[in-house]
Amino acid sequence: MSAEIPKDSWSGTVRTVTLGATPAEGGTRSHVVTVGGQKTLPFMHFEQVAPNRPVVAVEIKDRCPEDWSPLLLEVWGDAAISPAAWAKQAEAAGAHVLVLALSLTGDDGKPTTPQAAVAATKAVLEASGLPLLVFGPGQAEADNELLVAVAEATKGERIALGICEDKNYRTIVAAALANGHCVTARSPMDVNLAKQLNILIHDMGLPLDRILMDPTTGALGYGIEYGYSVMERLRLAALQGDAMTQLPMIVTPGFEAWKTKESKVGRDVPEAWGDWRERAITWETLTAVTLIESGADIVVLRHPESVRRVRQAIDDLMTVPETV
Amino acid sequence: MVNHMAEHTVTFDTAPQPIHVPTGTLLVEAARLAGVDIHQPCGGQGRCGRCAVVVREGTVRRRSTLRLSGEDVANGYALACQSVVEGNAFITVPPQEAIERRLTTDLTAAAVAVPAGYNPTQAQTVQRVRLSLPPPSMDDQRDDWSRLQTTLRQQAGIELIRASLAQFQQIGRALREGNWRVTAVLDADAWDCPGCPARLIDLQAGHCPEDTPLWGVAVDIGTTTVTLWLVDLLTGQARAQVAEYNRQITRGEDVISRIIYAGKNNGAVELRDLVLETINGLLETACKRVQAQPADVVKATISGNSTMIHLLLKVPAESIRLSPFVTAVNDIPTLTAREVGLNIHPEATIDCLPGVASYVGADITAGVLASGLEDSDGITLFIDVGTNGEIVLGSRDWLVTCACSAGPAFEGSGVVNGMRATKGAIEEVWVNGATFEPTYRVVGGGKPRGLCGSGLIALLAEMSLTGVVDKGGNINTVLPTPRVRLGEHGPEYVVAWADETAHGHDITITRVDVDNLVRAKAAIYAGFTVLAERVGLPLETVERVLVGGSFGKYINVEKAVEIGLLPDKPWDCFHFLGNTSVRGAYLALIDREARARVKAIAARMTYIELSADNTFYEAFTSALFLPHTDLSRFPSVQAVP
Repeated sequence: MSAEIPKDSWSGTVRTVTLGATPAEGGTRSHVVTVGGQKTLPFMHFEQVAPNRPVVAVEIKDRCPEDWSPLLLEVWGDAAISPAAWAKQAEAAGAHVLVLALSLTGDDGKPTTPQAAVAATKAVLEASGLPLLVFGPGQAEADNELLVAVAEATKGERIALGICEDKNYRTIVAAALANGHCVTARSPMDVNLAKQLNILIHDMGLPLDRILMDPTTGALGYGIEYGYSVMERLRLAALQGDAMTQLPMIVTPGFEAWKTKESKVGRDVPEAWGDWRERAITWETLTAVTLIESGADIVVLRHPESVRRVRQAIDDLMTVPETV
Repeated sequence: MVNHMAEHTVTFDTAPQPIHVPTGTLLVEAARLAGVDIHQPCGGQGRCGRCAVVVREGTVRRRSTLRLSGEDVANGYALACQSVVEGNAFITVPPQEAIERRLTTDLTAAAVAVPAGYNPTQAQTVQRVRLSLPPPSMDDQRDDWSRLQTTLRQQAGIELIRASLAQFQQIGRALREGNWRVTAVLDADAWDCPGCPARLIDLQAGHCPEDTPLWGVAVDIGTTTVTLWLVDLLTGQARAQVAEYNRQITRGEDVISRIIYAGKNNGAVELRDLVLETINGLLETACKRVQAQPADVVKATISGNSTMIHLLLKVPAESIRLSPFVTAVNDIPTLTAREVGLNIHPEATIDCLPGVASYVGADITAGVLASGLEDSDGITLFIDVGTNGEIVLGSRDWLVTCACSAGPAFEGSGVVNGMRATKGAIEEVWVNGATFEPTYRVVGGGKPRGLCGSGLIALLAEMSLTGVVDKGGNINTVLPTPRVRLGEHGPEYVVAWADETAHGHDITITRVDVDNLVRAKAAIYAGFTVLAERVGLPLETVERVLVGGSFGKYINVEKAVEIGLLPDKPWDCFHFLGNTSVRGAYLALIDREARARVKAIAARMTYIELSADNTFYEAFTSALFLPHTDLSRFPSVQAVP
């Protein structure tokens, strides 16, 4: 006796966003990475096989970060003091794309200059052929100053500039428009706010296929359910035909997971917590995989072992059963 | 070391003489004792910063300096509601914003037509009868009261009456002074006591001329404005209409601030006295206009939101503010003027109309009556825009209602250059899309002093249309115009330069103001959309939209739709009704059937508490956008190039 599996058919499709440009397209990347394009909920292969796989991004910095866990600094070792070396090592670790997160200050303690930001970006572009995302330090003025310079210096590379927020997006979007780049749009875990920011950015004339939305998330045990639910509802809205939510999603589980006490603290914790390194990597991996299952298209990670495990999970999830 | 027993001398520059108060006395209290009025728009919570005074000499302890900069404090500024006396002090009080009378509601108000087919003798509960009693004699030793009752039965058909002690003390004199001819005024049919004996209101010696008017008043106590209509009960005609700002404004601009103020020492008495002063002042003005005396008024029907009614009657209102938000009483039995403290005939009937819930008061039940909503065939939406937005949806068959807190932004409060719709208020604005230069119209002509609600709506719509603000309310700071600049409160747009204004300061709208306005409009929009969703009706099925509140007279439909305050429907759906609350009170005053209908309306309305689940919040954040996150709800706005 055979049972027929009911299939949903949706009216909407998630748009595709392509990161990076090859020499033929005016850039220098060895290849491009395309995300999005889903016609149904994640991994419902029996309804429709997704055209593009979820992508792992590795976060690197323009200078060795002071506030990162010793576990991370240890594993990246000397690479962490050179953006170029770090980029190479991240590519070797299995990154599909790179995120260069600019620091607020340089080694001398003074604010990062646009020249320094451009130099770091160029070093990364030279060291690795992977498509690139560049995030500002997270303060409106610094973000605008540095990202405009980076955007101009990398014209045609189709990098993604981040992070646009509702109170600060104009300058970044204008820089992306003028130089053929994409942007990431971050909103604080709310379907309406995510949609509003997409509208504001689109209103400036940036095509929707150059916007990635970052709905913000929390780590496992730190609000991930809420983030999961918002992403799920955004994806459902997109499939139901709401044009302003039909954008691929990028989230930063690495940043979130490595903030947690479970990942940060290795001493004076209950024995039952087990091995620190294993715990921290598991925390980052589980956070990332959970978000991939809710519809994330790009997850930004920090630890190379997490990259290996998340890639493995993506392979498993993307395996289409023969019965389909 | 502070001596807690000490008395200190506090001198206010505007007071006739210094005042002596103990350590720890609040400056506002000291000012009150000294006879100096200091406005406290937030009810003395230290939130609005408008009670700032300057301490020229001596010391005060500032419990809070919210809204004051470090520089302000260094210059001696202190919040009068948050600073306590700790020594002798000399205080300068800045000029207080004068509470001006609204220009339009008063003399220019449209004449009120008596409802068609109105029959006063049947509809009016108050009757005036002229009686001729047989004088007592040795053969007829009945007491005065029995004699009066018998005569009433024989000459007016009134079976039973009741009277107060004060009246028993006067009956004998009236009968004898009039040589057994008297004029009695009775309230024959109290709604709260069907079948009860008629109540004697007045007994005058002699027969008064037939055509002497019998006066009643309809009163609407608004949070901002109190309106009073003086009505001849014999004909049903409104003979004078007056309005004035509620004097309670100086003790809190919204109902929450006032409830908080009422909970302070003596606050409840002060607030009751302020509203009584306001009404009694209006009575004087109205009576003067028709050569009557306030004491001639024998009936008052009062409408107002639940908080206003509670504060008038000095019924504790605290529970209105606190979850689960219940009133002390929604439906108050009839009272007398003596009990309430109104300066009309002490035995006059005071009829407070019934409310539904804490935030859906008698103003709304009266509004529903006046708007005809309860009798409409098609589905009608009634929106009363005010500090609280109250919304009623329904038809002849059903009525649902809800309230949402919009905040006072549309009334010009909580906005840096906001003001009420009085002389000098910018009430309409146009912005040139190429130069970003505005033109504006000012209430009463002349130079502008600020922006009132309609001006703010128009300005926001124009700024949105021309790209001065984006859909998220962010002011575009890179526009090529000096009117957009970075001010003390962040980005701002200059509507009028200092040399064009009445006070010599720039009139601006700031990013924070825009946020406040967007929140206010989002609350109202979310209110009616959630209400419609709860009953499973799309807004498209709404045939008419009735907009009430004194605010409703001024707003421009096109611009209100542009910012997403009103639903995007054909303009002929919208009807602006003005003050429906006082009109409802008027109808209830002159017609016992209408009064019964108000009671039925209150009983029929299903109140929906918006804070009970997440749907309101969801709808609210969705509406926090210009015009709305779901652009398909505003097709006509999208069509604008």
